Amino acid sequence: MRLPRLFHTSSFRLTLLYAGIFSLSMLLLFGAVYWSTIGLMSRQIDGTVHNELIELQSATRDDSRAELQRVVNEYASRSPSFFYLLQDSNGRPLAGNLPPVKPELGLRVMSWSGQNPPPGLGNAAKGIRGYGTVIANGDYLFVGLSNVQLRRMRTSLDRVFLWSLIATLVLALLGGAAVSLGPLRRVEAISRASRDIMDGDLGRRIALRGSGDEFDHLASSLNAMLDRIQALMNGLRQMSSDVAHDLRTPLTLLRQRLETARSLGTNNVATLHAVFDKSIQDVDSILDTFGAVLRIAQIESGSRKAKFSRVDLSELVEGLAETYRAVAEEKGQRLVSDVEPGLPVEGDRELLHQLFANLIENAISHAPPGIIIAIRLSRGVNGIEVGISDTGPGIPEAHREKVFQRFYRLETSRASPGNGLGLSLAAAVAELHAASISLADNSPGLRVTVAFPA
Amino acid sequence: MKILLIEDNRETADYVFQGLQEKGHTTSVIQDGREGLFRAASENWDILIVDRLLPGLDGLSLVHTLRGGGVKTPVLFLTALGGIDDRVSGLDAGGDDYLIKPFAFSELAARVNALGRRPRQTAAETVLKVADLEMDLLARNVRRAGVDVVLQPREFRLLEYLMRHAGQLVTRTMLLENVWDFHFDPRTNIVESHISRLRSKINKHGVELIHTIRGSGYSIRAPA
Repeated sequence: MRLPRLFHTSSFRLTLLYAGIFSLSMLLLFGAVYWSTIGLMSRQIDGTVHNELIELQSATRDDSRAELQRVVNEYASRSPSFFYLLQDSNGRPLAGNLPPVKPELGLRVMSWSGQNPPPGLGNAAKGIRGYGTVIANGDYLFVGLSNVQLRRMRTSLDRVFLWSLIATLVLALLGGAAVSLGPLRRVEAISRASRDIMDGDLGRRIALRGSGDEFDHLASSLNAMLDRIQALMNGLRQMSSDVAHDLRTPLTLLRQRLETARSLGTNNVATLHAVFDKSIQDVDSILDTFGAVLRIAQIESGSRKAKFSRVDLSELVEGLAETYRAVAEEKGQRLVSDVEPGLPVEGDRELLHQLFANLIENAISHAPPGIIIAIRLSRGVNGIEVGISDTGPGIPEAHREKVFQRFYRLETSRASPGNGLGLSLAAAVAELHAASISLADNSPGLRVTVAFPA
Repeated sequence: MKILLIEDNRETADYVFQGLQEKGHTTSVIQDGREGLFRAASENWDILIVDRLLPGLDGLSLVHTLRGGGVKTPVLFLTALGGIDDRVSGLDAGGDDYLIKPFAFSELAARVNALGRRPRQTAAETVLKVADLEMDLLARNVRRAGVDVVLQPREFRLLEYLMRHAGQLVTRTMLLENVWDFHFDPRTNIVESHISRLRSKINKHGVELIHTIRGSGYSIRAPA
């Protein structure tokens, strides 16, 4: 995996953002610690030197310059950590262990940076923090302490901060990489699979890790989508080859008939008309097949679902039973119905109409006279069920699944009218409504059950 | 009748134009949707025949615009094969009937007649009458030569539709759509079965009134 990809992942960017926020808060925290520590130390030094100055002044026995000189020198020799200076108003040193300075009052910091720090100061030349005052005769008196500890503290705090900042950033980067790498790998796997599929490996699917995490969820949704697309594409491919195959015969016959008609000439008008009538019939049946194929394709696309509304199934089924009773009776069959009133389903009225019309017509046209067709609508434990059964020849078990395939026709029904699409259309409508459609033995005969989920 | 045909397919337009002229209708053909809208709105027509797919302006929008402008001329839509949503959207847009292409000319002619003679405002007819056959729409009963004929609800609707179009050809498809609400072609002879039942009931007390027009449909009319 190339590194730049890693930097572009959203999780890595998120980690960087967190690292930034964390560093900023560290900076604030450090600032507070720095400010309070250094402030405390400075105030301690200031307090100490101020006390020393007062103590020194009160240690004099009189107000003479000589007495103050004596005390300053005594203090200077006694306490080596303090620094003292007494100079007159002209800047000449009078006592103490510091070189003369510009007299500044109050709190001050002196330092002798450069090539020649005054001798005897050592480390303290880098900074002496102290208090200066002018006494009654105009002399300048200063007492100070080396601020080396303060400076050391500052340096060490700086170092601590710098190192912890570096450590934080390194950890954040490593953590970010570790956090991002896993998802990045999964995403890469998904996009690799997509590219393979685009390149034509349509059976390719995204591997699941089995952990049930969000990537597994995503992958399984994508796989399900791919399955659906593949099923639709296979259906389409199957459909186009079926259509081509199924239409070849009638088109060939039509062509032959037209050729014959042409050779007949104009002498035999009656025969010519008969040929034309038959040809129109053929074309109509071909168009009928086309229409049914298009209709099935439209139903399978699922777009009709948007127009679903509440349909009174009882009224619809009862109406169909009444309609087909006359047809069945004319064929010498009996049609009975047992419809529980007021059962609604969510659906497309027109398609449901055609679904049940197709099923009832199948029963009527594939069964001989004398049989009984029973239509039953009831609410069961698993939802609403419509059963259409007949006492006719039925369908052998081996063929029951196949009859839902397009253009599939049993040998025994080749002679009866139909294009072999009636049950395919019924199955497509049932699927659109999430209903199951099943064939069972009515012994004798066939029982078709359409069950709508509760 | 004066008919405006808005259809961009030259061959279909010629076929329909020829047939309508032969039936004695005055027909104008327009191939563009916008021009069709203009002509439909600016002249008086008995019927508009509108294709769904048109250059310039599609048939749905054309009819929708016409209806919005208060033009109530009956509209027969021509729609392509397989479009199962076309019928509903066409009727929603203000169409009065629809026909799926390709169609038999006799089917188109029958529908044109039915639309053309449809009363513009739903006339408050309460009794339909053909010879000695009488249908009372309020009491919902039928009498032949003064004798009550008992009909099932569907048979009543079938007879009512025929009687409302008395003297006209009513095709099998028109009956399926209007009496049974079937918008697909059933494989069994529903119409024939019900017509024969209806005949046996109303012919008990008189001569045949429902005539079969071979290959086309039915027509109810008084004997000449």
